[in-house]
Amino acid sequence: MRRVAWWLASLGVVALVIYAWHLLAAAAVISPVFLPSPQRVWTALSRGIQSGALTGYALQTVVHMFWGWFAASCAAILLGSIIGMSPTIQAYLQPSLEAMRPLPASATIPIFTLALGLNDGLVLTVIAFGAIWPTLLATIYGFESVDERHYEVAAALGMSKFDIVRKIALPSALPDILAGMRVSVTIALILTIVCEMIAGVGGLGQWILNAGRTFRADNLFAGILMLGLLGLISTNLIIGTERYMLRWKQA
Amino acid sequence: MTRPMRSAALRGLVVPVTLIATAEIAGRAAHLDSLTIALPSHIVVALAQALADGSLLQATAETLWAVLAGVALGTAFGLALGLALGLARPLDRLLAVLIELLRPIPTVALIPLVILVAGLGYLTEITIVAFGTMWPVFVISRSAILGVEPRLFEVADALGFSWPQRIQKFVLPSIAPRIFLAFRLAVGFALIIAVTVEITTNPLGLGNAMVVAQNALNPALTLAVLVWIGAIGWLFSRLLIIVERVAFPGMGSAVRS
Amino acid sequence: MIGYNKVSSVLARGAMRPVESPADRPSGGSRADPGADLLEFWRVDVELQGRPILSGIDLSIRKGEIVCVVGPSGSGKTTMLRTLSGFTPPTAGQVLFQGQEIRKPRRDIAIVFQDYGRALLPWRNAAKNVELAMEAANKPRAGRAAEIERLLTLMGLGGHADKYPAQMSGGMQQRLQIARCLAQTPSVILMDEPFGALDAMTRQTLQDEVLKLVAAMQTTVFFVTHDLEEAIYLADRVIALQPNPGRIARIFDVDLPSPRDQISTREHPAFLKLRRQLFDFVKGAEP
Repeated sequence: MRRVAWWLASLGVVALVIYAWHLLAAAAVISPVFLPSPQRVWTALSRGIQSGALTGYALQTVVHMFWGWFAASCAAILLGSIIGMSPTIQAYLQPSLEAMRPLPASATIPIFTLALGLNDGLVLTVIAFGAIWPTLLATIYGFESVDERHYEVAAALGMSKFDIVRKIALPSALPDILAGMRVSVTIALILTIVCEMIAGVGGLGQWILNAGRTFRADNLFAGILMLGLLGLISTNLIIGTERYMLRWKQA
Repeated sequence: MTRPMRSAALRGLVVPVTLIATAEIAGRAAHLDSLTIALPSHIVVALAQALADGSLLQATAETLWAVLAGVALGTAFGLALGLALGLARPLDRLLAVLIELLRPIPTVALIPLVILVAGLGYLTEITIVAFGTMWPVFVISRSAILGVEPRLFEVADALGFSWPQRIQKFVLPSIAPRIFLAFRLAVGFALIIAVTVEITTNPLGLGNAMVVAQNALNPALTLAVLVWIGAIGWLFSRLLIIVERVAFPGMGSAVRS
Repeated sequence: MIGYNKVSSVLARGAMRPVESPADRPSGGSRADPGADLLEFWRVDVELQGRPILSGIDLSIRKGEIVCVVGPSGSGKTTMLRTLSGFTPPTAGQVLFQGQEIRKPRRDIAIVFQDYGRALLPWRNAAKNVELAMEAANKPRAGRAAEIERLLTLMGLGGHADKYPAQMSGGMQQRLQIARCLAQTPSVILMDEPFGALDAMTRQTLQDEVLKLVAAMQTTVFFVTHDLEEAIYLADRVIALQPNPGRIARIFDVDLPSPRDQISTREHPAFLKLRRQLFDFVKGAEP
C-alpha cells in the first residue's frame, strides 16, 4: 500500500514537471524554437505515429539495433566460451581484448566507412563491433569461473564432453552472459543512433538530426521521446528475460 | 617484474605482433595501394608526422579540454544528485518515476537538441559529456550511500553529530572509494562521448581529425588517429587505476568494471 | 567384542596373498575370491605438488561394508577418498575396484561432497538434479520420472521435486545430493564429511538414513569424517590415519549391535570404550 502511494506521488511529480514545462513554454521565457510546449510535442508525436512516418523510422532503428546486437551476442558467446574454457587461448588473447575494449566504438566509424561505404552494412558492423565487448568479456569470465566442483560432479557421473559444456558450463555462465547482453543492448542503441546520424540510412537518429537541422523542435522532442521509450522497452525486455531464465536464483 | 608476469606479458603480445607483421608482409607483397586500409608501417609514419606538425596535439588538447570540463560538471551534478537522493529517502521516492523515465534516453540523442540551442563548439560538447557522465556518477554514489553500514548512522546519532558533520565524518569517508570508481568510469565514458560528438557533428578534436582524414581518403592517417585515441584511453584508465590503488588500497582488485 | 588390528595385522592379511608387483597383476582379471574384497588399496603413495600426502596405504574393503576414516587434518583422509573416486591417481601402487585399477571416475562409484551447495546445480530443480545422473548414463526417458519420484521419496524429499536448491535447507540439499548419487545405482558411495556442515539433529537423522540405505541395498560406503562418534556409530571398521605423510595408524573393528540406535548405541559400553580409545589416539597423533 505504502509503495503504491509513493509511486503515485512520484507520478504526480512527473505531472508537475510537465505542467512546469507547459508554463515555461507558455511564458515564452525560452524561445519556442528550442523549447516547444508539451502540447506541440504531443501533437508531433501523435501525428508522426498516425501518419506512420515516426513509427517507420523507429522500426528501422529497432531493426538496426536488434540485428547488430544479435550478431554481437552470437559472436561473443561463441568466442567467449572457447576463450573462457581454454586457459592457453585466454593467455594469448585476453590482453589484446582488454586493450581494445576501451576504444570508443564510434571512432571505428570512419575506418569502417572507408572500407564499407555509408550503408546498412556499415551500421551493422559498427553496432556489432561496439556491442560485442561487454558480452564477450562477461562470457569469458563466466566460463572461466565455473565451479570446479561442478566439473567433478560431471566427471563422477561420467558425462560426455559435449554435455559438460551444454549442461554444466553454459548454464553456469548464463548469469554473466545475460548481464553482458544487457549492457550490450544499451551500447547497441547508442551506436545505432550515431550511425543513423552519420550514414543517413533512416532510423530515429536521422529523424532527430533532420528535425534539429530544420528547427522542428517539436519533432526533435518527439524523436527523443521515442528513443527514450525504445531504451526503456529494450532494457526491460532483457531484464524480464533475465529474471525468467535466472528464476532459480531467487530463493 | 617477476618472471611469470613477464612471460604473461610476452604471451599477450604474440597475437597482436603476429597480426601486425602479417598485415605488413601481406600488404607489401601485394603492393598495397588502397584507399580503404593502410600498412602498419604507413600508420606509424602518419602518426609521427601528425605528432610532429602539431595538428594531432592540437586536436588532442581540444578533446581533452571538453572531456575534463564535461567530467567536472557531470561528476559535480551526479554527485550532488546522488548525495541528495541517497540521504533524503522521501526525495528519492518522489523523483523515482521521473528518473526512471529520463535515464533510458541515450545521451547521443541529445546531440541535435543541444546543437540547436548552443550551436557547434565546446559548449555543446561539454554539455553532452556532462549529461552522459552524470548518470553513472549519480547511480553509483546513490547506491553507495544506501549501502553505508546503518550502524554508522546509529553511532553518529549516539554521538549527537549534526547533519553536516555526519556527511563529513561518516558518509563521505565510507563512500569515497566508490565515488572514485564512479569518477574513473566517468572519465572513460567522457572520452567515448566526446569523440562520438566530434565524429557526428562537432568540428573539434580527435573525432573531427578522423573524419577529415577519412574524407581526404587517407586511411593511414585515419587509423593513426584511431590508434592515438586508443592509446589515450588506455593511458587514462591505467593512470586512474594506479591512483585508485594508491588512494584506496585493497579496493582496486575487488572491483570488476 | 571390540578389538583393534594394528597395521601389521592388515599387512599380514595382505601378505597371505602372493606378493605381486602391479605389472604382474592381470589388470581387469577377476580375483580368486569374488565378492569378498570390493575395494583395495595396494601399497598406495600419493604426492601432490611434490609433497607426500599418503604413504604405503594397504587396505581391503569388503562388499557392503561401511568404513569410516578419521584422523587429524592433513592426514590425507580426503586424498584417500579422492584416489577411490579416480580424481587423484596414486603416485605409486594401485587402487582397485573389483580387481580393476581405478584410473578415472566411474559411474558405479558415487561421491557425496561436503559442500552440497557447490555440488548441486543451482539452475536445476530437485527432480532435474537427480535426472542429471540418468542423462549422463543415457537411461531411457520413459522410466525416469517414476525413478526420480521413488528416489526423492526415499530420501524424504517427496513433495519437493520442483524446488531449486536455493529454496531448500542444508539438510534437504544434502539429501538431494545423496538421491542423485543413488540414481547412479552405484555399488560404492564415497562420502567426504557429508554432514560436517549440518546441525546436530539433521546430522543424526541423516546418519540413520545412510545406515538404512546401506542395509537395504548392500552398498559399500567409504566415509570420511572428523567426528569420531559419527565414525563409530556408522562404521563396521574405523580407519585411523596419522599425518606427515598420511598413513594408516590403526584399524578399529566396531562390534556394535545392529540396527544401531542414536540413544542406546551411543550409551553402549563398547561404544564408550571405543570412543575413549579413538580420542586418546587422535590426541596422541595431533602434531
